[in-house]
Amino acid sequence: MTRALVVVGHGMAGHRLAEQVRAGDPAGAWRIVVLGEEPRPAYNRTALSAWLEGTGPGAGAERLALVRAGFLTDPLVDLRTATRVTALDRAARTVTCADGTQVRYDALVLATGSRPFVPPVPGHDLPGCHVYRTVDDLERIRAEAVAGRPGAVIGGGLLGLEAANALRLLGLRSHVVELAERLMPLQMDEGGGRVLARLVARRGLHAHCGVALRSVAAGPDGRVRAVHLADGTVVDADLVIFSAGIRPRDDLAEPAGLARGPRGGFLVDRHCRTADPFIWAVGECAAVEGHCHGLAAPAHRMAETVAAQLLGAASEPFPGADTAARLKLLGVDVASFGDAHARTPGALELAYTDHAADTYAKLVLSQDARVLLGGVLAGDAGAFPVLRSAVGRELTAAPEELLASGGP
Amino acid sequence: MTRVLVVGNGPAAHRLTERLHHHGHRGRVTVLGAEPHPAYQRVLLPSVLAGGLPPEAVLLPPHPAGTRVLPGTTATGIDRRRRVVLASDGADHAYDTLVLATGAAPVIPAVPGLRAPGGQLARGVRTVRTLADTAALPSGRVVVLGGGVLGVETALALRAAGHAVALVHPHAHLAGHLLDPAAGRMLADRMTDLGVTLHLGVGAAEYVPGKLLLREGPPLPTDALLLCTGVAPVTGPARGCGLAVRTGVVVDDRLTTNDPRIHAIGDCAEHAGQVPGVLSAAWEQADVLARVLTGHDARHTPRGTAVRLRSADVDLLCVAPPPEAGGAADGGHTVTFSDPAGRRYARLHLREDRIASAVLLGLPRAIAAVGQLHDSGAPVPSDRLALLLGARPATRPAPAASADAVVCACNNVTGRTLLDAVAAGARDTAALARATRATTGCGTCLEPVRRLLAAATPAGAGGAG
Repeated sequence: MTRALVVVGHGMAGHRLAEQVRAGDPAGAWRIVVLGEEPRPAYNRTALSAWLEGTGPGAGAERLALVRAGFLTDPLVDLRTATRVTALDRAARTVTCADGTQVRYDALVLATGSRPFVPPVPGHDLPGCHVYRTVDDLERIRAEAVAGRPGAVIGGGLLGLEAANALRLLGLRSHVVELAERLMPLQMDEGGGRVLARLVARRGLHAHCGVALRSVAAGPDGRVRAVHLADGTVVDADLVIFSAGIRPRDDLAEPAGLARGPRGGFLVDRHCRTADPFIWAVGECAAVEGHCHGLAAPAHRMAETVAAQLLGAASEPFPGADTAARLKLLGVDVASFGDAHARTPGALELAYTDHAADTYAKLVLSQDARVLLGGVLAGDAGAFPVLRSAVGRELTAAPEELLASGGP
Repeated sequence: MTRVLVVGNGPAAHRLTERLHHHGHRGRVTVLGAEPHPAYQRVLLPSVLAGGLPPEAVLLPPHPAGTRVLPGTTATGIDRRRRVVLASDGADHAYDTLVLATGAAPVIPAVPGLRAPGGQLARGVRTVRTLADTAALPSGRVVVLGGGVLGVETALALRAAGHAVALVHPHAHLAGHLLDPAAGRMLADRMTDLGVTLHLGVGAAEYVPGKLLLREGPPLPTDALLLCTGVAPVTGPARGCGLAVRTGVVVDDRLTTNDPRIHAIGDCAEHAGQVPGVLSAAWEQADVLARVLTGHDARHTPRGTAVRLRSADVDLLCVAPPPEAGGAADGGHTVTFSDPAGRRYARLHLREDRIASAVLLGLPRAIAAVGQLHDSGAPVPSDRLALLLGARPATRPAPAASADAVVCACNNVTGRTLLDAVAAGARDTAALARATRATTGCGTCLEPVRRLLAAATPAGAGGAG
C-alpha cells in the first residue's frame, strides 16, 4: 500500500529529500506531498547573488531552479507552492495549512529552513528595510535600488558581503556594519581579516566593524534615510539589508510538543529523528544533537540520511558539518576550512603573509605538526579545494607546497 | 708613536685595545676605567646577581701587553686645545687620539622614594649595571621594575635561584621595543609558568622601604627593588668640551666625532641617529675604529641587531632590521608560528628569502638556525615549518653538525678553530678562550664549547671547565 510522505518546506533540503526518495523508490511505496511556502518551486538559494549579477535572456528566477521537469509531472509527487503549514497534530498525524486544508502523513519531514534575524532596533521595519534570503527579497531590493545612492548592509558575514556586493552591482554605494572586530568573523582570523578589509575597501565598500547598530532613521517621506551606529556614526542609506544571522523556523515544535535545541530548531539525533518515530527534521531547521547548520552541504547530507531511512536502507548518521566556506566576489577571494580558529587543544598555527601581493594563508596543525586541522586563506584562496580535502590527514608535503597548489 | 687614550673600560674599550693590537698598533694605549675592577662582561651580570656565576667568571681577559689601565679613574673633563683629559686622579692624561667608550648609565625613573635625601639610591634599591650591583641580595621578596630585556633576564635568573620575584612593567607587553604583542604575551605566559609574578600595564607610584606602591592594586612587599628601567649614554665629558651630542656622542662612519682626534664607540656613541645599545654593535664599532686608527680603510655600517635572551629557562631571539630598512609594509613575506599551549612563537620577516627581522620564542633549534642565517645572509630554506620546528627530515645536514659552523658567534669562532686549539694543547675552556676568544662574548656558547671540548679531549686528559 502506498504510504504518505509529507515534506514541510520546499527549499534546498526539502527538495533534495523528495528527489532522493523518488529516485530510490521505483516501485512507488511513497506518495510525496511537498508543502512549500514560497510561490515557486525550490531554487538554489546559494546562487542568489550570482543570479542578481546575471543579465540578459535567461536571467529570470527559473535560472536558479533545482526542479527538473519530470519532478513536477511525477504522479507520485504533489507539490503545493504558496502553501504555509500552520499546525501539526501528532496524534492524528496531520498537518494543517494556512487555507485550512489538512494533509495526513505516515512520515513527516520538517524542512522549514530559517528566517533572517532582524535586530529589534527602532526603525528596523521601515519601508526600505529588507532581508536577503529569497528571490522575492531580491526582486524587491532590485525594484527599490537607485544607482548612485547609498545602501547599508547590517552584518558583515559571508551573506552580508554577498548582499553588499549585490548593492554594488545595482550601482549603490555599499556600507557594511559588523558588530565583531572584523568582516566574516566566523571564517577570518586577525590576519585574514586585515587582508579582507583592504580588499573590500579597494572595491569601494565601506566597512564599519566593532560597532553595533543603534537605530534606523526615516526621512520626511517615511522611508529609510540613514542608519545610526552605537558610536555615534550616521551612515546615509536609502536601502538597508539585514544580514545579521538566521534563526531556525521551529514554530511548529512547541504547540505539537516537539523538543527544541538550546538555540532553537527541531531537536533531532544524528539520524535527524525527532522523539516522534514518524517525524524527522532536515536542513537549517534541524538541531542535530542541539546544533543547527546553516549551509547547503550539511542540509544535503541530512536529507540523504533521512531518505535512506525512509527507503529502508542503511542510514549513515549525519557526519557533522563541514563548515568550510569560500567567498569569491567583490574582487575578494577568501576562505576558511576545518578548525580555522585553532580551537583544538594544543593546535599550532602557521601563517604566511605576502606583503606585496597582500595575501594571507594560515594552516592550523595538530600538536605534533603532522595533521592538517584547518586554515584561513585571504587574497588568494586557490589552494582551498586541495586543503579542504586534506583536513584531518597527515601533511603530504611542506606547507608551502600545499599552499601553492590549485589555480586561482 | 701615537698615544691612544681610551675613556671607559667596558666591553667596547676592551675589544678596542685587543683589536688595535691585532691590527698592528704598537703605540702607547692608556685606558681610564671608572670602576675599580678590571674589564668584565656586563651582559652576564644577572647570572652573577643570582649566584649562578662567580664574579670572576665574567672578567674579560687582560688587555694586550703594554696597555696601561687605570681603574677607578673617572674622566672629569676634556681640554681639546691642550689634548688632555682631566681625571679624578688629579692628573692630566695627554692624547694624540682620544676614544670615548664611556658606555651608558642606568636611568632612574622619577618615582618618589627611590632616592635617599643625599641623591643616592634609597636603602633596598639598586640597579643592575655594574659588578658593584651584584652583592648578595637579602632573602625575601625581590621586585624588578622594568620589563625590558635586562628586567626579564634578571627576574628569570633570580626566580631560577629560588627567589620570590615580581616584575612590574608599566606597559602592556614585555620588551615592547623588540617583541610584537603576540610574542610579548607568550613570553609573559612563559614567565608566569616559571613562577614570576607579573604586574603588566601598571606603573610604580612610590617606594617606601619594604614596599613598592603601584598606581593600581595593593602595594608589593619588597625586600630588594631592582631598577631595570633603561640606560642613557654617558656623554658628560663630550658635552663639556663642545663635541656634537644628541642622544649619544655623534660619530660618522669612521666612528669619528666632529673633532678628528676624538672618536666614540659603544653605548655612548650615536651613529646615523641610532644608539644601538647592544654588544654586537659595540664590538663591530671597536673593530672598525681599530682598523681606522691603524690606517686601514674601514667604515661602520649598522647591521640588524640580534638580541638573545640570556636565560637557561627561556629561549628568545630577536633580530631587528637595520634602521634604514622599511617596515613589513614595504614588501617581503612574514611567516608566523604560534603554539600557545607549548609557549612557542615565531615571526620571521623575509625579504628575498633572507631574514630581515625575526622573533623566536621557545624554539631553541630554530633560534640557532635563524641566528646563523641572519649572520651569514644566506637564504632561508623553503620549508619554513621544518626550519622552525627543526624536527622534520632536513633536506641538507644541519649547519651545527659541520665543523665550519660558527660556535661562538660573538667572536666568529668556528668548530674547526676550536678543534685546532684543542689539538694545539688547549684542555679547558679557559685555555680555549685564550687561544680563540670563544666564550668571552655573550657567554651563551659556553655549553656548546664544553660539549665540543668533552668530545674532542681524550678521556681523562683534563677537566672540561
